Amino acid sequence: MPPRTPKNFDKLYRDHVDLMYRFANRLCGESEAAKDLVQETFLNALRGFKDFRGDAQVSTWLYTIASRACLRMRRRQKGAPERELSLEQFIPTSEGEFRLQIPVDGLSPEEAFQNKELRQALDAAIDKLPKKYKMVLVLRDMEGLSAKEVGTIMGLNERAVKSRLHRARLFVRRELSARGITEAAPSHHHEPFA
Amino acid sequence: MAKRAVSRPKTHPATAPHRHGKGRCLRILRALSAFIDDELSEDICQEIRRHIGACPNCEGFVASLRQTVSLCRHSPASALSPTDRALMREQILRAAQAR
Repeated sequence: MPPRTPKNFDKLYRDHVDLMYRFANRLCGESEAAKDLVQETFLNALRGFKDFRGDAQVSTWLYTIASRACLRMRRRQKGAPERELSLEQFIPTSEGEFRLQIPVDGLSPEEAFQNKELRQALDAAIDKLPKKYKMVLVLRDMEGLSAKEVGTIMGLNERAVKSRLHRARLFVRRELSARGITEAAPSHHHEPFA
Repeated sequence: MAKRAVSRPKTHPATAPHRHGKGRCLRILRALSAFIDDELSEDICQEIRRHIGACPNCEGFVASLRQTVSLCRHSPASALSPTDRALMREQILRAAQAR
């Protein structure tokens, strides 16, 4: 027998499942974990739907549920330890670190992404971000939400959102530079940034 | 969708040495996301532009940060197949009943 459909679930699901899957896939980096996260998100949404007062957009509410579910799921997994990113660590110390390892000058983003190596390098760089930075980068730069919306979802003020976003961008930039590609190599100190 | 260039780097005839202090460097580094997001006052933007104009390494750094943000913004997203979408709906409803 097919399961009973709670009131309004189908519309909620139909209107937002693609959005939530895209977000989940960007956070998790692979499809099975993303599906688990989407499932958990809609289950929690079903439970909380009667309490949703419409103060925020439905999508913001779902992003919030998904973000919290993601943090819970990740706590249960063994992953890289959460750490703070300091600005000092992003100051280049060698010539190759000032530019991206794979040149994209003059290319549109669509053209740049024809390069599979670049796509993989970007995915790997984002995947290496500590989760609280990754979540801000994904919501702000990939999902296109405003800093205010990201703050609402993550329970942060805009200043904290912008600070985390900046560090996340610098982290990804560094990973895409020569230092990210040859991280094991000792750094050289000619032509330093500072 | 209209194509947008990832960046339009300027060229410099020669690479100048980078000799400013670490404090100044950090101050500029701290402001770069706000700079590329157009969130800074004009006088701070001018200060950064002046610095970038005089320093090819910093210019390269800012260009690469812009490129990174542009790549993130345009990164292709995975999509669910109709079969997966329907399957997940069934699983969610079954799980909801089971809870």
